Amino acid sequence: MSDTQWETYEVFHQSRRGKSHEHVGSVHAPDPQMALQLARDQFARRLECVSLWVVRSKDITLTDYQDPLFFSQIFDKSYRDPKGFDAPAKIDPTLKGSGDDD
Amino acid sequence: MTIEVPQGVSREALTGCILALADDELMLGHRDSEWTGHSPIIEEDIAFANIAQDELGHSLAWYTLLGQMNGQSPDRMVFERRWQEFTCCRLVTYPKGDFAYTVARQYFFDAAEDIRMQSMGRSVFGPMKELAAKISAEEGYHLLHSHGLVERLGDATEESHRRMQEAVDIAFPQALGIFEQFKEEEKLVEAGVIVQSTRLQEQWLKTIVPVLKKVSLKVPAEKKGNSYVPRVPADSGGRVGRHSDDLRQLVDDMQLVYQMAPSGRW
Repeated sequence: MSDTQWETYEVFHQSRRGKSHEHVGSVHAPDPQMALQLARDQFARRLECVSLWVVRSKDITLTDYQDPLFFSQIFDKSYRDPKGFDAPAKIDPTLKGSGDDD
Repeated sequence: MTIEVPQGVSREALTGCILALADDELMLGHRDSEWTGHSPIIEEDIAFANIAQDELGHSLAWYTLLGQMNGQSPDRMVFERRWQEFTCCRLVTYPKGDFAYTVARQYFFDAAEDIRMQSMGRSVFGPMKELAAKISAEEGYHLLHSHGLVERLGDATEESHRRMQEAVDIAFPQALGIFEQFKEEEKLVEAGVIVQSTRLQEQWLKTIVPVLKKVSLKVPAEKKGNSYVPRVPADSGGRVGRHSDDLRQLVDDMQLVYQMAPSGRW
C-alpha cells in the first residue's frame, strides 16, 4: 500500500525517569523535530510523560514474519528456561516474559 | 476575593482590556476547533483540536478573572452577549479557510500572544501577571508548532509556497488588528498594567518578518532603521465591536444550544 503522506516515525514514551521507553504508536511528520512535536500532541497530552523518542520507521531493521526458522524451537530447550526456583516478587515480571511456560 | 485595581486605572479600562484578551482566545479556539475531522493529516487534526482546547482554556482563565471583578459568570459573558459586544480582534473571527491560512493566522497570533504574555508577565496588576506567566508557558509550544509549519511550508514545494504566500497576504493586515489600542490604553500603560500596543507590534514585526523572509515569503513591511513599518493598513475595528458578518455567524453557532434554554443548568 503506498502512502502519499509524510514519512512515519515510531514513537516511544517514557512515563517516569528510569523506566523504559515504551512503543506507543506512530506519527506522520516531515522531519524528526516535527515528529517530536506531533508525538507530544498525540501521545503525551493525557499520559504522564517525561521523555519521548521518535525514530524513522524505515530506519528500524526488523524480522520477517514469513521466515519460519528465525524463532523456531526445533529441539526441546525447556531446560534453558529460568524456572524451578522461586524468583523474588521484584524480578518476577522479568522472568515471566522470557519463559515459554505460560 | 475583592480584586484591587491599580492606582490611576479605571475598573472599566482594566476589565475592558481583559475581556478583549479573553474574546481573542475564545474565538480563535472556536475557529481552530473547526478543523476537527477536516485537517489535511490526522496528526494536525489532533494538534489543532489540542490547540483549540488550550485557547479555550486560556479564555476561561481570563473570563474567570473577570468574573471575580464584575460578578458575571464566564457562561454569561460567552453565551449571553450579542456578537457586536465581543471585542476580539477581527483576525480571529474569520472562517478557517485554507489550511495554509490557518497556519499563517495561528503563527501570527501565537507570535503576538507570546510577546504580549511576556510583557504582561511584568504587569503591576498581580492577577494579570500570574495568569500571563501561565499562558506564556503553553503559548510557547503553540508557537513552536505554528512556527515549525510556516518554516516548512513556506518553501517546501511550489504549491505550498503559493498557498502560504496567499495566506500571508490575507492574514497579515488582519493580524495587525491584534494591536489595535484598548480603550483608555494610555492610562493602563502609564500605570504599568500593560505595554503599548504599538510597541508590541514593533516587536512582533521584528519577530515574524525575518522568519517569513527566510522561507521566501513576502511581507508588506519595510525596514526603517531598526524596525519594520507595515505598508498595508490594519484590518482593525474589532476592539470596538466592529466586526464582519463572519463573527455574527460564529456567535450564532456558538450560542445556539445555550440559547435554546438560557436558564438551563449544564
